[in-house]
Amino acid sequence: MSDQGIKSRPKYQPIAPDPQGRHHLLVVDGPEVPTEALAEGVTPSAFEVWTVARKSAVPGSAAMDEEAGAVRVFRAVPHLFSALEERLARETMGLRLYAAGPETFLWDANGIGARAGLSRQEMAFAHVGAQARRIFCVHCRTVMEGVTTSITTCAGCGAPLFVRDHFSRRLAAFMAVQVDAEVPGEVPPAEELYS
Amino acid sequence: MTAGDPLHVRVRDIVELAPSLKRFSFEPAHGGLFPTPPAGGHVMLTLRDGARVMKNAYSLVSAPMERARYDIIVRLVAQSRGGSAFLHRKVMPGDVLEMASPVSLFPLAATARKHLLIGGGIGITPMLSFLPELKARGARFELHQLAGGEEAAVFERLLAPYAAGEEIRVHGGGRAAFDLAGLLSRQPLGTHVYVCGPHTLMDAVTGTATALGWPRGKIHKESFGGAGGGLPFRAILKRSGIEVEVGETQSLLEAIEAAGVDAPCLCRGGACGECMTPVIEGEVDHRDDFLSAEEKAGGRLVMTCVSRARGPRLVLDL
Repeated sequence: MSDQGIKSRPKYQPIAPDPQGRHHLLVVDGPEVPTEALAEGVTPSAFEVWTVARKSAVPGSAAMDEEAGAVRVFRAVPHLFSALEERLARETMGLRLYAAGPETFLWDANGIGARAGLSRQEMAFAHVGAQARRIFCVHCRTVMEGVTTSITTCAGCGAPLFVRDHFSRRLAAFMAVQVDAEVPGEVPPAEELYS
Repeated sequence: MTAGDPLHVRVRDIVELAPSLKRFSFEPAHGGLFPTPPAGGHVMLTLRDGARVMKNAYSLVSAPMERARYDIIVRLVAQSRGGSAFLHRKVMPGDVLEMASPVSLFPLAATARKHLLIGGGIGITPMLSFLPELKARGARFELHQLAGGEEAAVFERLLAPYAAGEEIRVHGGGRAAFDLAGLLSRQPLGTHVYVCGPHTLMDAVTGTATALGWPRGKIHKESFGGAGGGLPFRAILKRSGIEVEVGETQSLLEAIEAAGVDAPCLCRGGACGECMTPVIEGEVDHRDDFLSAEEKAGGRLVMTCVSRARGPRLVLDL
């Protein structure tokens, strides 16, 4: 059940800077760039890197270094995303945006990039870390974070939900549908698939 | 792909904008309204000059919301293959012509956060269709029109209705005085660039934008044909079992059509790929914007609307 053969399931590749790009900004959900997020032979120095320390004591970024090799550390993911929105709003054509981290982080970054006008050709993502899913109950529209099982109970409407591979880039979430719609009460056992 | 039955259009009026530029306004010959054209769309006119039949594509310059008339602007080209000279010299108000319904190979990107329009010379024509659409959408845009000396004033007049409060500039000083790299490097994320004009201008915009990191999907160009003629040659249509002579001022496609073969075509400007035909034998002088450099080097395909033989004969799988 882990590969449902659904085409919207995103595929990821290790990141390499696009040779067509003029400037490369890599945002990472973590304190440093995971080696497995980068293609062979690519080093973090090819990018301007933004990381998330998940602590309050972060070094202040001296000057606003906006060049390859510069590293800027943020307290938390919302802190990084807020700065990313401001940065993209004043960027010019030629920028490429890359993200490494769990899927939720990648697709939230994708949404910020798309709203700023970046196309798919100008962004690339590497999935590293947790496999847990953000899911969207298609019946009541409740969004749940960190789902690791094939079947779960909707926090909004209580429906037993099957977590599909069907992925919405707009919502950055997997679609979840009522599993016992045809035979009420017939709910298969949940499998731990996405931990 | 065809665009349905042809429209019959009557010439309402003809306005001379400059010695070599005329605006033709058409109305439906049988009354009613035209279909709503796409912004940046073009129409194909069938021009019958005696026994000779020419099919030429022209961008619409009237607003996409205008359905009572379709306007085109035609430049009289010195080395005209016949179409522009026929329109300038022989077509009169009241004449009825055949026109294919408008199609667009030059659409505005719905997701663009800004539209950068660059026209060169008569490449202003699709821009004149874009402007009312962009205004109506409330979209952010900027237009730069390049003009040869005496035409700058004509283009200023054509753009004047849209100019209030907008970034619209006519550059009369030629390409050297136009800072293309500066313009392209200061555009915000999410900008799409649209260029129509001579090949040298379109290549310069594509090359400069690409070097500055613009992705291919945000660079849009519209070729206005300019197929030009060349040495005559013989085309052998193997499947149809016929041979046609392609004259100096005739395109391969026109010669095929004159022989009664219903060959595929759409833009007649080497842009859309519709007329792509397999080559069995002979060398091709590629003049289109559709095939990749590798495909052109491969020599197995030809765009009949603009490309010719580089030799006395060409054998086609048609």
